[in-house]
Amino acid sequence: MVTKTNSSLKECTPIIEVSELDFAYGSTQALFNVSMDIYEKQVTAFIGPSGCGKSTFLRCFNRMNDLIEVAHTKGGNIKINGVDINKPDVDVIELRKHVGMVFQKSNPFPKSIYDNIAYGLRIQGIKKKEILDQVVEECLRSAALWDEVKDRLQESALGMSGGQQQRLCIARALAVKPRILLMDEPCSALDPVATAKVEELIHELKKNYTIVIVTHNMQQAARVSDRTAFFYLGKLIEYDATDTIFMNPNNEQTEAYVSGRFG
Amino acid sequence: MTTKNKPHLFSYDLSVKRKTEGVIKWLFRIATYIVILAAGYLFANIIYNGSKAVFNVRAPFINIDFLTQKPQTLHVYEPKLIYAELKKINAQQVALRSELKGLSLMDDIGVASIKSKLKTLEQKYEELDAERKEGRLLFSDTEYRKLDQTPFSEEYTYSNYAYSGGGIGPAIIGTCLLVFGSIAIALTLGILCAIYLSEYSRPGRVLRIIRLSVLNLSGVPSIVFGLFGFGMFVLFFGWGVSMIAGWFTLAIMALPVVITASEESMRAIPKGFREGSLALGASKWTSIRTNVIPYALPGILTSSIMGIARVAGETAPIMFTAAFALRDQLPWEGLNEWTDFFFQGVMALPYHIYVVSSKIPQNEYTRDMQYGAAFVFLFIVGFFALSSIVLRARVRKKYKW
Amino acid sequence: MQRYFHEELEQIRSKLIRMSEKAREVGQLALEGFVECDLKKAERALVMDDEIDALEVEIDRDAVRYITLRGPVSSDVRLILVAIKASHDIERVGDEAHSIAKRTSSILRREGKVFQPVAIAEMGEIAFSMLGDAITAFIEGDLELARSIVHRDSEVNRLNRENYKTLSSELDGDLDNELGEASTQIKIIFISKSIERIADHAKNLAEEVIYLQTGDYYNS
Repeated sequence: MVTKTNSSLKECTPIIEVSELDFAYGSTQALFNVSMDIYEKQVTAFIGPSGCGKSTFLRCFNRMNDLIEVAHTKGGNIKINGVDINKPDVDVIELRKHVGMVFQKSNPFPKSIYDNIAYGLRIQGIKKKEILDQVVEECLRSAALWDEVKDRLQESALGMSGGQQQRLCIARALAVKPRILLMDEPCSALDPVATAKVEELIHELKKNYTIVIVTHNMQQAARVSDRTAFFYLGKLIEYDATDTIFMNPNNEQTEAYVSGRFG
Repeated sequence: MTTKNKPHLFSYDLSVKRKTEGVIKWLFRIATYIVILAAGYLFANIIYNGSKAVFNVRAPFINIDFLTQKPQTLHVYEPKLIYAELKKINAQQVALRSELKGLSLMDDIGVASIKSKLKTLEQKYEELDAERKEGRLLFSDTEYRKLDQTPFSEEYTYSNYAYSGGGIGPAIIGTCLLVFGSIAIALTLGILCAIYLSEYSRPGRVLRIIRLSVLNLSGVPSIVFGLFGFGMFVLFFGWGVSMIAGWFTLAIMALPVVITASEESMRAIPKGFREGSLALGASKWTSIRTNVIPYALPGILTSSIMGIARVAGETAPIMFTAAFALRDQLPWEGLNEWTDFFFQGVMALPYHIYVVSSKIPQNEYTRDMQYGAAFVFLFIVGFFALSSIVLRARVRKKYKW
Repeated sequence: MQRYFHEELEQIRSKLIRMSEKAREVGQLALEGFVECDLKKAERALVMDDEIDALEVEIDRDAVRYITLRGPVSSDVRLILVAIKASHDIERVGDEAHSIAKRTSSILRREGKVFQPVAIAEMGEIAFSMLGDAITAFIEGDLELARSIVHRDSEVNRLNRENYKTLSSELDGDLDNELGEASTQIKIIFISKSIERIADHAKNLAEEVIYLQTGDYYNS
């Protein structure tokens, strides 16, 4: 059964192109020869059991792995917008402005809601109040938070609920106007209602952003993503339209994993 | 489950195990009480004895002279008659005591009679002593110089005691200066060092060795720091016995505490803050400046200030580097150049206590001095500790996570 | 909270409604072809069946996709289940209508008209009113209406039996009839049977509506 969505997906343009990426932590190799294209304005989900390298892979896209001393790329490359991001002339700060990230544990800074969102601009030296006000409102609106918090912008972000905090982190990431948004298990600490809200938000955001999401929750991958990649032991096992991965995967391991017969 | 007859499943089982448990609990309890008692006695003793020097019965209730004046020699005039009488009683007591030693233990009646005699003498002595205290005249140096004429020598016997008059003003000021200076130096150096160690350095053997040696530094005896400071700052740098040499000696001594505390506080900041700000395109220093230091600062300040306050109480490191036993001038008096301020020795409370307690003949007048100084010193150290706690509470309220 | 994928559920629902409306239309067209001896109507009915089959495949595919990707529970999963079952029933209605139309057109081709000896029209009326009511019950979630449909099935069955008796006794009596005549009557028996089947499917639909609404199976 060939789904219609499958064919329509093919028309999109790739924004991240990964070819033959090998990545290691010290002597332990974490990713083996991963090649994939991630397409613009789509939601791409990475699924797989713990330790399969999906988070590592995600963190390669904004070079968050640089923070780990022993982590290094052994081979292959990642091109974003056609630029190899591991080249020495790439400023990682500029890269991270274009590739935003939302973490597993919501990590709002212990400042006010307003300051949290303005942070990304302030560190760029933007101090003008009108601009900040405007961006804060814009970002909160696109994160569907504005109506909930507009009366308490100056209150601490830590007084918000878990789901609101995570959406605030998304809004904060949006403030620096990224093109790509990486999400590392954004809902793993949230209750179902908050999760649903974040998923709604992801669905809204994909109109304007390319989203890559790592998730342990297969249902979530099925619900929010257009494409799904299944990783196992550092290898990309299968990458296809979400419909195909969940309804009729080509690989037996994928089939076993999505149907819960794994291991 | 035991097979013993028990009223119900959860009733007490008075086995040996249970009893030992009770004993062990009491052991812990008693140990704790001993510690509390010791601490309580220490504080009570110092406060009780010290308050005699520090507080007054008359308004304003605080002995301002004691807190502000320089240490002086105490000039004492005691009523001659009473003084002679006391001396006589003292001689009698001595005679009786030696007689008591000479008697065999068998002679119960003799012992009892001598003991009762001694008792009556003691009572008499105390009465006279109280009278003497009432009648005596005490003058500090300044007061003594102002006197138009000395009291009649027919009525009074004169004696004087060094360090027992006046106050401890310069020592208080000196201590405060030493503490502030060393806090400034230790915090600056320590925080910079801690930032490098916890944020920038590569984890590995070298870092472990550095950490270990920093930790070991805190185990070095304070007298060794004193000698080091003396050799390094006083002699090698040629700063002489000076405040600045004291600052650096104290600061280096406090560094391990500051570095460890700062590193600890910085490591307690969730990784998410750093990652979150890095992911927004902040540089490493920006994210440390905006998202690590502000939140670590309360912890750093509290632990560091407490550590430094403790170090500042040490006598040994300043003994050779910064402290003068007696200095007439206050630190801001008689400076030729402003830089001289740093290169002058100061009086310091711990050293003053040391000097008063061990370098001069002990008598009833030095006692007040010692305890008074100890009391004030305790108060100052307590004030620093308290202010660091208050500071933390206030900063903490601002940044909570 | 309304999720973005609930729209897909709504789509499945409306597809189902569209499909059932279409099946009813085909059925009625076939019946009218028979009753009014209208060859054109019967032939139009023959073509329309394909759309229904296509819709069934689509609904099945959507339903499976919804189950795998959206993880529905409770009334949502019942709706999906009902969509799968009902689409099958409706597809059967379409098939029965198709066979009515086919037989009607073959009778009309040969004889030009249909003699209406039995209560086909009456049966058809009841059966299609059942079907129509079942669809209404589905759209409006009307439990009472759905329950009332179930009981009306017996009337159709009775009429079918009567038809069968009449036609088969006629067949027995008129052995000297031409062969064509006999085959026409057999065809009419089948048509009557088809209408009875349509009523059965309408009843099934009604039961599915009850299941959808209550989560319980209907037992009469």
